[in-house]
Amino acid sequence: MWSTGEPADSYYAVRPECTDVPKSRFKIRAGKTLSARKWQTAFSPEGHLDIGKTLSRIQRGGIHPSIRGEVWEFLLGCYDPRSTFDEREQMRQRRRTQYARWKEECSEIFPVVGSGRYITAPVITEDDAGSSDADAIAATSEIVKELTSRGPLDKKVIQWLLTLHQIGLDVVRTDRTLVFYENKENLSKLWDILAVYAWIDTDVGYCQGMSDLCSPMIMLLEDEADAFWCFERLMRRLMMWALEYDPDLFDMYEESDSASDKAEGSKGRAKSIRHYGKFERENMKNGAGTEAPLPISVFLVASVLKDKSAKLLTEARGLDDVVKILNDMTGNLDAKKACSGAMKLHKKYLKKAKKT
Amino acid sequence: MGAYRADEDYDYLFKVVLIGDSGVGKSNLLSRFTRNEFSLESKSTIGVEFATRSIHVDDKVVKAQIWDTAGQERYRAITSAYYRGAVGALLVYDVTRHVTFENVERWLKELRDHTDSNIVIMLVGNKADLRHLRAVTTEDAKAFAERENTFFMETSALESLNVENAFTEVLTQIYRVVSRKALEVGDDPAALPKGQTINVGDDVSAMKKVGCCSA
Repeated sequence: MWSTGEPADSYYAVRPECTDVPKSRFKIRAGKTLSARKWQTAFSPEGHLDIGKTLSRIQRGGIHPSIRGEVWEFLLGCYDPRSTFDEREQMRQRRRTQYARWKEECSEIFPVVGSGRYITAPVITEDDAGSSDADAIAATSEIVKELTSRGPLDKKVIQWLLTLHQIGLDVVRTDRTLVFYENKENLSKLWDILAVYAWIDTDVGYCQGMSDLCSPMIMLLEDEADAFWCFERLMRRLMMWALEYDPDLFDMYEESDSASDKAEGSKGRAKSIRHYGKFERENMKNGAGTEAPLPISVFLVASVLKDKSAKLLTEARGLDDVVKILNDMTGNLDAKKACSGAMKLHKKYLKKAKKT
Repeated sequence: MGAYRADEDYDYLFKVVLIGDSGVGKSNLLSRFTRNEFSLESKSTIGVEFATRSIHVDDKVVKAQIWDTAGQERYRAITSAYYRGAVGALLVYDVTRHVTFENVERWLKELRDHTDSNIVIMLVGNKADLRHLRAVTTEDAKAFAERENTFFMETSALESLNVENAFTEVLTQIYRVVSRKALEVGDDPAALPKGQTINVGDDVSAMKKVGCCSA
Protein backbone atom coordinates (compact mmCIF):
# COMPACT_ATOMS: atom_id res chain seq x y z
CA MET A 1 0.00 0.00 0.00
CA TRP A 2 1.10 3.58 -0.46
CA SER A 3 0.63 6.69 1.58
CA THR A 4 -1.69 9.45 0.46
CA GLY A 5 -0.23 11.91 -1.96
CA GLU A 6 2.94 10.03 -2.73
CA PRO A 7 4.62 11.59 -5.75
CA ALA A 8 5.24 9.18 -8.59
CA ASP A 9 8.70 10.49 -9.40
CA SER A 10 10.33 7.64 -7.50
CA TYR A 11 9.04 5.21 -10.11
CA TYR A 12 10.89 7.01 -12.86
CA ALA A 13 14.17 7.85 -11.16
CA VAL A 14 16.13 10.84 -12.41
CA ARG A 15 19.92 10.74 -12.59
CA PRO A 16 21.28 12.60 -9.56
CA GLU A 17 23.39 14.96 -11.68
CA CYS A 18 20.31 16.25 -13.49
CA THR A 19 19.11 18.98 -11.19
CA ASP A 20 16.70 21.09 -13.19
CA VAL A 21 14.21 18.38 -14.13
CA PRO A 22 10.64 19.53 -13.39
CA LYS A 23 8.93 17.51 -10.70
CA SER A 24 5.82 15.61 -11.72
CA ARG A 25 2.61 17.18 -10.49
CA PHE A 26 1.02 13.76 -10.45
CA LYS A 27 0.50 12.27 -7.01
CA ILE A 28 -0.66 8.80 -6.08
CA ARG A 29 -3.77 9.28 -3.95
CA ALA A 30 -5.43 6.41 -2.14
CA GLY A 31 -9.09 6.18 -3.12
CA LYS A 32 -8.59 8.35 -6.20
CA THR A 33 -5.79 6.82 -8.21
CA LEU A 34 -6.65 3.57 -9.94
CA SER A 35 -4.94 0.93 -7.81
CA ALA A 36 -3.89 -2.59 -8.73
CA ARG A 37 -6.63 -4.00 -6.52
CA LYS A 38 -9.35 -1.81 -7.99
CA TRP A 39 -8.15 -2.67 -11.49
CA GLN A 40 -8.36 -6.39 -10.81
CA THR A 41 -11.92 -6.15 -9.53
CA ALA A 42 -12.97 -4.62 -12.86
CA PHE A 43 -12.47 -8.03 -14.54
CA SER A 44 -15.01 -10.84 -14.59
CA PRO A 45 -13.75 -14.36 -13.80
CA GLU A 46 -13.31 -15.03 -17.55
CA GLY A 47 -11.50 -11.78 -18.04
CA HIS A 48 -14.10 -9.41 -19.46
CA LEU A 49 -13.13 -5.90 -18.46
CA ASP A 50 -15.68 -3.36 -17.35
CA ILE A 51 -13.58 -0.49 -18.60
CA GLY A 52 -16.24 2.13 -17.99
CA LYS A 53 -15.84 1.44 -14.27
CA THR A 54 -12.20 2.41 -14.36
CA LEU A 55 -12.25 5.36 -16.78
CA SER A 56 -13.61 8.01 -14.45
CA ARG A 57 -11.09 7.00 -11.81
CA ILE A 58 -8.28 7.16 -14.33
CA GLN A 59 -9.46 10.55 -15.43
CA ARG A 60 -9.68 11.93 -11.89
CA GLY A 61 -6.79 10.24 -10.14
CA GLY A 62 -4.56 8.67 -12.74
CA ILE A 63 -3.14 5.15 -12.80
CA HIS A 64 -0.83 3.68 -10.21
CA PRO A 65 2.60 3.25 -11.83
CA SER A 66 2.69 -0.46 -11.00
CA ILE A 67 -0.17 -1.24 -13.41
CA ARG A 68 0.27 1.46 -16.02
CA GLY A 69 1.56 -0.90 -18.70
CA GLU A 70 -1.39 -3.26 -18.64
CA VAL A 71 -3.93 -0.44 -18.34
CA TRP A 72 -2.42 1.40 -21.28
CA GLU A 73 -2.71 -1.72 -23.40
CA PHE A 74 -6.46 -1.40 -23.05
CA LEU A 75 -6.58 2.37 -23.34
CA LEU A 76 -4.60 2.27 -26.56
CA GLY A 77 -6.82 -0.45 -27.95
CA CYS A 78 -4.37 -3.34 -28.08
CA TYR A 79 -7.06 -5.54 -26.61
CA ASP A 80 -10.82 -5.57 -26.69
CA PRO A 81 -12.17 -5.20 -23.14
CA ARG A 82 -14.84 -7.76 -24.04
CA SER A 83 -12.24 -10.45 -24.74
CA THR A 84 -11.33 -13.15 -22.23
CA PHE A 85 -8.03 -13.80 -20.48
CA ASP A 86 -7.43 -16.76 -22.80
CA GLU A 87 -8.18 -14.86 -25.97
CA ARG A 88 -5.85 -12.09 -24.96
CA GLU A 89 -3.09 -14.48 -24.09
CA GLN A 90 -3.38 -16.10 -27.50
CA MET A 91 -3.38 -12.74 -29.21
CA ARG A 92 -0.37 -11.66 -27.20
CA GLN A 93 1.56 -14.74 -28.27
CA ARG A 94 0.58 -14.24 -31.90
CA ARG A 95 1.71 -10.63 -31.79
CA ARG A 96 4.99 -11.50 -30.15
CA THR A 97 5.64 -14.02 -32.89
CA GLN A 98 4.77 -11.46 -35.55
CA TYR A 99 7.10 -8.90 -34.03
CA ALA A 100 9.89 -11.46 -33.80
CA ARG A 101 9.40 -12.24 -37.49
CA TRP A 102 9.61 -8.59 -38.54
CA LYS A 103 12.62 -8.05 -36.37
CA GLU A 104 14.28 -11.03 -37.97
CA GLU A 105 13.62 -9.55 -41.42
CA CYS A 106 15.28 -6.34 -40.33
CA SER A 107 18.19 -8.08 -38.75
CA GLU A 108 18.81 -10.09 -41.91
CA ILE A 109 19.23 -6.87 -43.87
CA PHE A 110 21.03 -4.99 -41.15
CA PRO A 111 22.34 -7.20 -38.33
CA VAL A 112 22.72 -4.35 -35.85
CA VAL A 113 18.97 -4.74 -35.24
CA GLY A 114 18.57 -7.08 -32.31
CA SER A 115 22.28 -7.08 -31.52
CA GLY A 116 22.02 -4.92 -28.40
CA ARG A 117 23.75 -2.08 -30.23
CA TYR A 118 22.50 0.84 -32.31
CA ILE A 119 23.95 3.27 -34.82
CA THR A 120 24.11 7.07 -35.01
CA ALA A 121 26.19 7.45 -38.17
CA PRO A 122 24.67 7.03 -41.63
CA VAL A 123 25.26 3.62 -43.19
CA ILE A 124 24.22 4.81 -46.59
CA THR A 125 24.13 8.27 -48.15
CA GLU A 126 22.30 9.75 -51.07
CA ASP A 127 24.67 11.26 -53.58
CA ASP A 128 21.92 13.28 -55.05
CA ALA A 129 19.38 14.88 -52.73
CA GLY A 130 15.90 13.60 -53.29
CA SER A 131 16.75 10.63 -55.41
CA SER A 132 17.16 7.26 -53.84
CA ASP A 133 17.83 5.14 -56.87
CA ALA A 134 20.15 2.29 -56.25
CA ASP A 135 22.92 3.89 -58.29
CA ALA A 136 22.72 7.23 -56.51
CA ILE A 137 23.54 5.91 -53.09
CA ALA A 138 26.85 5.23 -51.46
CA ALA A 139 27.35 2.63 -48.80
CA THR A 140 29.33 3.98 -45.87
CA SER A 141 29.30 0.87 -43.72
CA GLU A 142 30.79 -2.56 -44.20
CA ILE A 143 27.43 -4.20 -43.59
CA VAL A 144 25.80 -2.27 -46.39
CA LYS A 145 28.78 -2.72 -48.72
CA GLU A 146 28.38 -6.42 -48.21
CA LEU A 147 24.66 -6.07 -48.85
CA THR A 148 25.09 -4.12 -52.09
CA SER A 149 27.71 -6.56 -53.37
CA ARG A 150 24.93 -9.13 -53.60
CA GLY A 151 22.92 -6.96 -55.97
CA PRO A 152 21.07 -3.65 -56.19
CA LEU A 153 19.08 -2.69 -53.14
CA ASP A 154 15.35 -2.52 -53.09
CA LYS A 155 13.91 1.00 -52.81
CA LYS A 156 12.16 0.10 -49.56
CA VAL A 157 15.44 -1.15 -48.13
CA ILE A 158 17.25 2.05 -49.14
CA GLN A 159 14.63 4.28 -47.56
CA TRP A 160 14.79 2.25 -44.38
CA LEU A 161 18.59 2.24 -44.19
CA LEU A 162 18.56 6.01 -44.64
CA THR A 163 16.53 6.48 -41.44
CA LEU A 164 18.45 4.19 -39.09
CA HIS A 165 21.10 6.69 -37.98
CA GLN A 166 18.45 9.36 -37.44
CA ILE A 167 16.65 7.02 -35.07
CA GLY A 168 19.95 6.49 -33.25
CA LEU A 169 20.65 10.23 -33.00
CA ASP A 170 17.27 10.71 -31.33
CA VAL A 171 17.36 7.60 -29.17
CA VAL A 172 20.44 8.85 -27.35
CA ARG A 173 18.64 12.15 -26.69
CA THR A 174 15.37 10.62 -25.45
CA ASP A 175 14.49 11.07 -21.77
CA ARG A 176 18.16 11.05 -20.95
CA THR A 177 17.63 12.52 -17.51
CA LEU A 178 16.24 9.15 -16.46
CA VAL A 179 18.28 6.43 -14.77
CA PHE A 180 16.38 3.98 -16.97
CA TYR A 181 18.39 4.99 -20.03
CA GLU A 182 21.75 4.64 -18.32
CA ASN A 183 21.22 1.01 -19.16
CA LYS A 184 22.40 0.66 -22.77
CA GLU A 185 20.05 -2.27 -23.28
CA ASN A 186 17.11 0.07 -22.98
CA LEU A 187 18.59 2.40 -25.59
CA SER A 188 18.97 -0.44 -28.07
CA LYS A 189 15.46 -1.64 -27.24
CA LEU A 190 14.12 1.78 -28.16
CA TRP A 191 16.20 1.79 -31.32
CA ASP A 192 15.06 -1.72 -32.30
CA ILE A 193 11.38 -0.94 -31.88
CA LEU A 194 11.60 2.28 -33.89
CA ALA A 195 13.65 0.56 -36.58
CA VAL A 196 11.15 -2.28 -36.89
CA TYR A 197 8.28 0.20 -36.96
CA ALA A 198 9.94 2.17 -39.75
CA TRP A 199 10.30 -1.10 -41.64
CA ILE A 200 6.64 -2.10 -41.44
CA ASP A 201 5.10 1.36 -41.82
CA THR A 202 6.79 2.79 -44.87
CA ASP A 203 4.31 5.70 -45.05
CA VAL A 204 5.42 7.10 -41.74
CA GLY A 205 8.83 5.50 -41.43
CA TYR A 206 10.60 7.45 -38.75
CA CYS A 207 9.89 11.05 -37.90
CA GLN A 208 11.62 13.07 -35.17
CA GLY A 209 9.46 13.04 -32.07
CA MET A 210 8.49 9.39 -32.39
CA SER A 211 11.25 8.35 -30.00
CA ASP A 212 9.61 10.47 -27.29
CA LEU A 213 6.29 8.75 -27.91
CA CYS A 214 7.81 5.29 -27.85
CA SER A 215 9.88 5.80 -24.73
CA PRO A 216 7.06 5.44 -22.15
CA MET A 217 5.99 2.15 -23.73
CA ILE A 218 9.41 0.67 -23.14
CA MET A 219 9.44 1.86 -19.58
CA LEU A 220 5.97 0.56 -18.80
CA LEU A 221 6.02 -2.77 -20.62
CA GLU A 222 8.81 -5.16 -19.90
CA ASP A 223 8.43 -7.26 -23.02
CA GLU A 224 9.82 -5.55 -26.11
CA ALA A 225 7.16 -6.98 -28.42
CA ASP A 226 4.35 -5.82 -26.12
CA ALA A 227 5.89 -2.35 -26.04
CA PHE A 228 6.10 -2.38 -29.82
CA TRP A 229 2.40 -3.16 -30.19
CA CYS A 230 1.42 -0.42 -27.77
CA PHE A 231 3.49 1.99 -29.80
CA GLU A 232 1.96 0.70 -33.02
CA ARG A 233 -1.54 1.31 -31.63
CA LEU A 234 -0.56 4.76 -30.50
CA MET A 235 0.79 5.66 -33.93
CA ARG A 236 -2.34 4.33 -35.57
CA ARG A 237 -4.51 6.45 -33.33
CA LEU A 238 -2.41 9.54 -33.78
CA MET A 239 -2.73 9.12 -37.50
CA MET A 240 -6.47 8.73 -37.33
CA TRP A 241 -6.94 11.66 -35.02
CA ALA A 242 -4.68 13.90 -36.99
CA LEU A 243 -6.44 13.16 -40.24
CA GLU A 244 -9.85 13.28 -38.66
CA TYR A 245 -9.22 16.54 -36.93
CA ASP A 246 -7.51 18.42 -39.69
CA PRO A 247 -8.52 17.73 -43.29
CA ASP A 248 -5.73 20.02 -44.48
CA LEU A 249 -3.28 17.66 -42.92
CA PHE A 250 -4.81 14.93 -44.96
CA ASP A 251 -4.30 16.96 -48.13
CA MET A 252 -0.76 17.69 -47.13
CA TYR A 253 -0.13 14.05 -46.46
CA GLU A 254 -1.50 13.04 -49.80
CA GLU A 255 0.41 15.78 -51.59
CA SER A 256 3.78 15.18 -50.00
CA ASP A 257 3.30 11.50 -50.53
CA SER A 258 2.78 11.76 -54.25
CA ALA A 259 5.46 14.43 -54.61
CA SER A 260 8.23 12.69 -52.75
CA ASP A 261 7.39 9.18 -53.65
CA LYS A 262 5.99 8.48 -57.07
CA ALA A 263 5.84 4.79 -56.38
CA GLU A 264 2.80 2.88 -57.47
CA GLY A 265 0.15 2.19 -54.90
CA SER A 266 0.19 5.61 -53.29
CA LYS A 267 -3.46 5.97 -54.25
CA GLY A 268 -4.34 2.82 -52.39
CA ARG A 269 -2.47 4.07 -49.39
CA ALA A 270 -4.33 7.35 -49.31
CA LYS A 271 -7.54 5.41 -49.50
CA SER A 272 -6.63 3.31 -46.53
CA ILE A 273 -5.91 6.45 -44.54
CA ARG A 274 -9.27 7.86 -45.50
CA HIS A 275 -10.75 4.63 -44.28
CA TYR A 276 -9.14 5.08 -40.89
CA GLY A 277 -10.77 8.47 -40.68
CA LYS A 278 -14.16 7.03 -41.37
CA PHE A 279 -13.61 4.24 -38.90
CA GLU A 280 -12.71 6.67 -36.21
CA ARG A 281 -15.68 8.86 -36.99
CA GLU A 282 -18.04 5.94 -36.54
CA ASN A 283 -16.26 4.89 -33.43
CA MET A 284 -16.83 8.31 -31.97
CA LYS A 285 -20.52 8.30 -32.75
CA ASN A 286 -21.03 4.80 -31.42
CA GLY A 287 -19.14 5.77 -28.33
CA ALA A 288 -22.30 7.59 -27.24
CA GLY A 289 -24.13 4.45 -26.26
CA THR A 290 -21.36 2.01 -25.47
CA GLU A 291 -18.52 1.87 -23.02
CA ALA A 292 -15.89 2.10 -25.77
CA PRO A 293 -12.76 4.01 -24.77
CA LEU A 294 -13.08 7.70 -25.55
CA PRO A 295 -10.89 9.13 -28.29
CA ILE A 296 -10.00 11.88 -25.90
CA SER A 297 -6.90 13.19 -27.68
CA VAL A 298 -8.67 15.09 -30.38
CA PHE A 299 -10.83 16.82 -27.80
CA LEU A 300 -7.77 17.50 -25.73
CA VAL A 301 -6.22 19.42 -28.60
CA ALA A 302 -9.50 21.20 -29.19
CA SER A 303 -9.83 22.20 -25.54
CA VAL A 304 -6.30 23.55 -25.43
CA LEU A 305 -6.86 25.56 -28.60
CA LYS A 306 -10.17 26.80 -27.24
CA ASP A 307 -8.49 27.84 -24.06
CA LYS A 308 -5.89 29.80 -26.00
CA SER A 309 -8.16 31.07 -28.74
CA ALA A 310 -8.64 34.52 -27.21
CA LYS A 311 -4.89 34.92 -26.86
CA LEU A 312 -4.28 33.61 -30.36
CA LEU A 313 -6.90 35.87 -31.89
CA THR A 314 -5.88 39.04 -30.11
CA GLU A 315 -2.11 38.70 -29.77
CA ALA A 316 -1.03 36.77 -32.82
CA ARG A 317 -0.19 39.06 -35.67
CA GLY A 318 1.74 36.55 -37.70
CA LEU A 319 3.09 33.05 -37.86
CA ASP A 320 5.88 33.87 -35.44
CA ASP A 321 3.40 34.90 -32.74
CA VAL A 322 1.42 31.71 -33.22
CA VAL A 323 4.58 29.64 -32.97
CA LYS A 324 5.56 31.49 -29.82
CA ILE A 325 2.19 31.12 -28.11
CA LEU A 326 1.98 27.41 -28.90
CA ASN A 327 5.57 26.72 -27.93
CA ASP A 328 5.14 28.55 -24.62
CA MET A 329 2.53 25.97 -23.70
CA THR A 330 5.05 23.16 -24.01
CA GLY A 331 5.75 21.81 -20.56
CA ASN A 332 3.33 24.27 -18.95
CA LEU A 333 0.07 22.59 -19.76
CA ASP A 334 -2.36 22.11 -16.88
CA ALA A 335 -3.15 18.49 -17.69
CA LYS A 336 -6.14 18.27 -15.39
CA LYS A 337 -7.75 21.39 -16.75
CA ALA A 338 -7.09 20.31 -20.31
CA CYS A 339 -8.63 16.90 -19.62
CA SER A 340 -11.80 18.24 -18.05
CA GLY A 341 -12.12 20.72 -20.91
CA ALA A 342 -11.74 17.85 -23.33
CA MET A 343 -14.44 15.82 -21.58
CA LYS A 344 -16.84 18.76 -21.79
CA LEU A 345 -16.20 19.19 -25.50
CA HIS A 346 -16.60 15.49 -26.02
CA LYS A 347 -20.00 15.52 -24.33
CA LYS A 348 -21.05 18.41 -26.48
CA TYR A 349 -19.85 16.62 -29.58
CA LEU A 350 -21.75 13.45 -28.78
CA LYS A 351 -24.93 15.43 -28.26
CA LYS A 352 -24.56 17.02 -31.67
CA ALA A 353 -23.54 13.79 -33.36
CA LYS A 354 -26.62 12.08 -31.99
CA LYS A 355 -28.92 14.72 -33.40
CA THR A 356 -27.57 14.50 -36.92
CA MET B 1 26.65 44.69 -25.97
CA GLY B 2 25.44 41.65 -24.15
CA ALA B 3 22.67 43.37 -22.28
CA TYR B 4 19.36 41.53 -22.16
CA ARG B 5 16.96 44.39 -22.68
CA ALA B 6 13.27 44.99 -22.94
CA ASP B 7 11.63 43.27 -25.83
CA GLU B 8 9.96 46.11 -27.65
CA ASP B 9 12.78 48.60 -27.62
CA TYR B 10 14.73 48.12 -30.82
CA ASP B 11 15.71 49.82 -34.08
CA TYR B 12 16.03 46.77 -36.28
CA LEU B 13 14.49 43.33 -36.23
CA PHE B 14 16.39 40.62 -38.10
CA LYS B 15 15.27 37.07 -38.67
CA VAL B 16 18.12 34.58 -38.52
CA VAL B 17 17.75 30.84 -39.13
CA LEU B 18 19.75 27.97 -37.69
CA ILE B 19 20.22 25.06 -40.07
CA GLY B 20 22.31 21.93 -40.24
CA ASP B 21 22.11 18.19 -39.65
CA SER B 22 20.34 16.59 -36.75
CA GLY B 23 22.29 16.63 -33.50
CA VAL B 24 24.93 19.23 -34.39
CA GLY B 25 23.86 21.49 -31.52
CA LYS B 26 21.59 24.09 -33.10
CA SER B 27 19.23 24.29 -30.14
CA ASN B 28 22.03 24.64 -27.63
CA LEU B 29 23.63 27.41 -29.69
CA LEU B 30 20.30 29.19 -29.59
CA SER B 31 19.82 28.76 -25.84
CA ARG B 32 23.43 29.75 -25.16
CA PHE B 33 23.07 32.97 -27.10
CA THR B 34 19.57 33.99 -26.01
CA ARG B 35 19.48 32.72 -22.41
CA ASN B 36 23.07 31.83 -21.66
CA GLU B 37 21.96 28.27 -21.01
CA PHE B 38 23.26 24.90 -22.13
CA SER B 39 21.65 21.53 -21.54
CA LEU B 40 23.44 18.21 -21.66
CA GLU B 41 20.05 16.52 -21.61
CA SER B 42 18.36 18.36 -24.46
CA LYS B 43 15.88 16.47 -26.63
CA SER B 44 15.64 16.47 -30.38
CA THR B 45 13.76 19.50 -31.67
CA ILE B 46 10.28 18.92 -33.02
CA GLY B 47 8.70 21.45 -35.33
CA VAL B 48 10.00 25.00 -35.08
CA GLU B 49 11.00 27.29 -32.26
CA PHE B 50 12.47 30.74 -32.03
CA ALA B 51 13.96 33.00 -29.42
CA THR B 52 15.03 36.63 -29.42
CA ARG B 53 17.80 38.73 -28.06
CA SER B 54 18.79 42.33 -28.65
CA ILE B 55 22.33 43.58 -29.05
CA HIS B 56 23.92 46.93 -29.84
CA VAL B 57 25.54 47.58 -33.17
CA ASP B 58 26.99 51.08 -33.46
CA ASP B 59 24.41 53.18 -31.67
CA LYS B 60 21.50 51.03 -32.77
CA VAL B 61 19.60 48.27 -31.02
CA VAL B 62 19.36 45.20 -33.18
CA LYS B 63 16.84 42.60 -32.15
CA ALA B 64 17.58 39.13 -33.45
CA GLN B 65 14.75 36.69 -33.90
CA ILE B 66 16.51 33.35 -34.21
CA TRP B 67 14.67 30.34 -35.59
CA ASP B 68 15.52 26.76 -34.83
CA THR B 69 14.05 23.63 -36.35
CA ALA B 70 14.39 19.86 -36.54
CA GLY B 71 17.34 18.71 -38.62
CA GLN B 72 15.67 15.65 -40.08
CA GLU B 73 15.28 15.72 -43.82
CA ARG B 74 11.56 15.10 -43.80
CA TYR B 75 10.84 18.22 -41.78
CA ARG B 76 11.79 20.07 -44.95
CA ALA B 77 8.06 20.23 -45.68
CA ILE B 78 8.00 23.40 -43.62
CA THR B 79 11.05 24.78 -45.36
CA SER B 80 9.61 27.73 -47.21
CA ALA B 81 7.79 29.06 -44.15
CA TYR B 82 10.93 28.60 -42.11
CA TYR B 83 13.17 30.55 -44.46
CA ARG B 84 10.65 33.27 -45.30
CA GLY B 85 12.05 36.66 -44.41
CA ALA B 86 15.38 35.35 -43.14
CA VAL B 87 18.26 37.81 -43.56
CA GLY B 88 20.89 35.72 -41.84
CA ALA B 89 21.74 32.06 -41.37
CA LEU B 90 24.05 30.02 -39.20
CA LEU B 91 24.82 26.79 -41.03
CA VAL B 92 25.97 24.45 -38.31
CA TYR B 93 27.97 21.22 -38.51
CA ASP B 94 29.53 19.09 -35.80
CA VAL B 95 33.35 19.10 -35.89
CA THR B 96 33.36 15.54 -34.52
CA ARG B 97 31.11 14.08 -37.23
CA HIS B 98 32.50 14.49 -40.72
CA VAL B 99 29.24 13.54 -42.40
CA THR B 100 27.57 16.65 -40.98
CA PHE B 101 30.25 18.73 -42.72
CA GLU B 102 29.74 16.84 -45.97
CA ASN B 103 26.06 17.75 -45.84
CA VAL B 104 26.81 21.46 -45.51
CA GLU B 105 26.80 21.75 -49.28
CA ARG B 106 23.26 20.45 -49.45
CA TRP B 107 22.10 22.82 -46.75
CA LEU B 108 23.74 25.72 -48.52
CA LYS B 109 21.92 24.89 -51.72
CA GLU B 110 18.59 24.73 -49.94
CA LEU B 111 19.30 27.98 -48.18
CA ARG B 112 20.18 29.78 -51.40
CA ASP B 113 17.16 28.32 -53.16
CA HIS B 114 14.83 29.76 -50.55
CA THR B 115 16.32 33.07 -49.51
CA ASP B 116 17.44 36.39 -50.94
CA SER B 117 20.93 36.55 -52.41
CA ASN B 118 21.92 39.21 -49.87
CA ILE B 119 21.47 36.83 -46.96
CA VAL B 120 24.42 36.74 -44.57
CA ILE B 121 25.64 33.20 -44.02
CA MET B 122 28.06 31.92 -41.44
CA LEU B 123 29.41 28.39 -41.45
CA VAL B 124 29.65 27.24 -37.83
CA GLY B 125 31.70 24.26 -36.66
CA ASN B 126 30.17 23.44 -33.28
CA LYS B 127 31.37 21.17 -30.45
CA ALA B 128 34.91 22.51 -30.77
CA ASP B 129 35.45 21.58 -27.11
CA LEU B 130 35.64 17.89 -28.09
CA ARG B 131 39.24 18.23 -29.22
CA HIS B 132 40.12 14.54 -29.01
CA LEU B 133 37.18 13.62 -31.26
CA ARG B 134 37.71 16.20 -33.98
CA ALA B 135 36.98 14.86 -37.47
CA VAL B 136 36.86 18.10 -39.49
CA THR B 137 39.95 20.32 -39.62
CA THR B 138 39.66 24.06 -39.27
CA GLU B 139 41.57 24.47 -42.55
CA ASP B 140 39.10 22.36 -44.53
CA ALA B 141 36.15 24.27 -43.19
CA LYS B 142 37.85 27.62 -43.71
CA ALA B 143 38.67 26.72 -47.31
CA PHE B 144 35.11 25.69 -47.92
CA ALA B 145 33.77 28.92 -46.43
CA GLU B 146 36.10 30.98 -48.62
CA ARG B 147 35.09 29.08 -51.70
CA GLU B 148 31.40 29.53 -50.92
CA ASN B 149 31.79 33.11 -49.79
CA THR B 150 30.43 32.63 -46.31
CA PHE B 151 31.75 33.65 -42.93
CA PHE B 152 33.21 30.95 -40.73
CA MET B 153 33.72 30.32 -37.04
CA GLU B 154 34.24 27.36 -34.73
CA THR B 155 32.13 27.37 -31.60
CA SER B 156 31.37 25.44 -28.46
CA ALA B 157 27.92 25.97 -27.03
CA LEU B 158 29.00 23.94 -24.01
CA GLU B 159 32.05 26.07 -23.20
CA SER B 160 30.39 29.23 -24.46
CA LEU B 161 33.23 29.61 -26.92
CA ASN B 162 32.64 32.00 -29.83
CA VAL B 163 28.85 31.70 -29.62
CA GLU B 164 28.46 35.37 -28.83
CA ASN B 165 30.95 36.23 -31.57
CA ALA B 166 29.25 34.14 -34.21
CA PHE B 167 25.81 35.63 -33.71
CA THR B 168 27.11 39.15 -33.23
CA GLU B 169 29.16 38.93 -36.40
CA VAL B 170 26.18 37.77 -38.44
CA LEU B 171 23.94 40.47 -36.99
CA THR B 172 26.54 43.17 -37.56
CA GLN B 173 27.00 42.10 -41.15
CA ILE B 174 23.25 42.14 -41.73
CA TYR B 175 23.17 45.61 -40.21
CA ARG B 176 25.89 46.73 -42.62
CA VAL B 177 23.95 45.38 -45.59
CA VAL B 178 20.74 46.98 -44.45
CA SER B 179 22.16 50.38 -43.57
CA ARG B 180 24.07 50.46 -46.86
CA LYS B 181 20.79 49.72 -48.64
CA ALA B 182 19.05 52.44 -46.69
CA LEU B 183 21.79 54.83 -47.68
CA GLU B 184 21.46 53.90 -51.35
CA VAL B 185 17.74 54.43 -51.14
CA GLY B 186 18.35 57.76 -49.47
CA ASP B 187 20.59 58.84 -52.35
CA ASP B 188 18.00 58.04 -54.92
CA PRO B 189 15.00 60.37 -54.57
CA ALA B 190 12.93 58.25 -56.94
CA ALA B 191 13.11 55.34 -54.56
CA LEU B 192 12.00 57.32 -51.55
CA PRO B 193 8.25 56.75 -51.60
CA LYS B 194 8.75 53.04 -51.51
CA GLY B 195 9.95 53.20 -47.96
CA GLN B 196 11.20 49.91 -46.71
CA THR B 197 13.44 48.93 -49.58
CA ILE B 198 15.32 46.25 -47.79
CA ASN B 199 15.64 43.48 -50.25
CA VAL B 200 17.34 41.12 -47.89
CA GLY B 201 13.98 39.81 -46.83
CA ASP B 202 10.32 40.58 -46.78
CA ASP B 203 8.41 39.47 -43.73
CA VAL B 204 10.02 39.89 -40.41
CA SER B 205 13.00 42.01 -41.09
CA ALA B 206 12.14 45.64 -41.23
CA MET B 207 13.48 48.89 -40.09
CA LYS B 208 11.39 50.14 -37.28
CA LYS B 209 12.29 53.78 -36.96
CA VAL B 210 14.58 54.34 -39.87
CA GLY B 211 11.98 53.64 -42.52
CA CYS B 212 11.51 56.80 -44.53
CA CYS B 213 7.78 56.58 -44.95
CA SER B 214 6.91 56.26 -41.30
CA ALA B 215 4.30 58.77 -40.27
